[in-house]
Amino acid sequence: MSSRSAARTLSPVDVALRVAIVALVLSTAYIHSTLGGLLFTLNAFGYLTAAVALIIPLAIAIRFRWFVRLGLIAYAAATIIGWAIQGPYFMTAYVAKAIEVTLIALVALDFARMDGNPIDVVKGELSLLASKLGRRPATGSAGA
Amino acid sequence: MKRLVLALGLVVFAAISAACSSASAQPLPSGPVDASGPTIVARDMAFSPSTVEIAANKKVTIHFDNQDSAPHNVAIYKDASASEKISVGEVVSASKADQVVPALAAGTYFFRCDVHTNMTGTIVVK
Repeated sequence: MSSRSAARTLSPVDVALRVAIVALVLSTAYIHSTLGGLLFTLNAFGYLTAAVALIIPLAIAIRFRWFVRLGLIAYAAATIIGWAIQGPYFMTAYVAKAIEVTLIALVALDFARMDGNPIDVVKGELSLLASKLGRRPATGSAGA
Repeated sequence: MKRLVLALGLVVFAAISAACSSASAQPLPSGPVDASGPTIVARDMAFSPSTVEIAANKKVTIHFDNQDSAPHNVAIYKDASASEKISVGEVVSASKADQVVPALAAGTYFFRCDVHTNMTGTIVVK
């Protein structure tokens, strides 16, 4: 479990950051849900799932919140790149992409505040996993 | 961490720049336009009719009526590969838009909604 974020209570800045992230996630989810079609609906559902995973007070969600953050950054970046390749280029799409760029920046900031360096976090988690599999001792962890 | 954020930011910036550059407006065809072109309706995520006819070698206005709340447009391409644009209409939601199509040689052309690429149709130019 994260020694950094799980151990400390959230500051007002942390709470404000999390609220802003969830608001941005729900905004882009809403935009995608209004576009119709399976792909956009699934995209909206993905964002909705991420929003829930970011705030749900379940132990397992808190334990793997670092993964949710990285996943959300990757998901938003993939959405932007997919749109850049395929389009369509119209006003609503530009608004959604602006939201997603802001979202990536805020989630990266949240990650840095709560979990630290992502490379160290991933290394620590892999080390922990390896130790659980009986290969080598754990050297670190992440979470919150 | 800073390098990762910077790298990610550059990727996103490059993606948006690429999108903006390919979204440049097409020049409107000049000269007389036949305003009595066909009407294409978008309803329930499909075009109706899915095949329309227009006159060859004549600029024509296509009347697009999107009756869905979802955004749609009429984007005309040389063929179904959608690699060569001919005329890309405005994306509209629950409203109408007119689109001037440049004079085309006789033949069969492909159109689709750029938002929902499974919505397709055929323009027969005679």
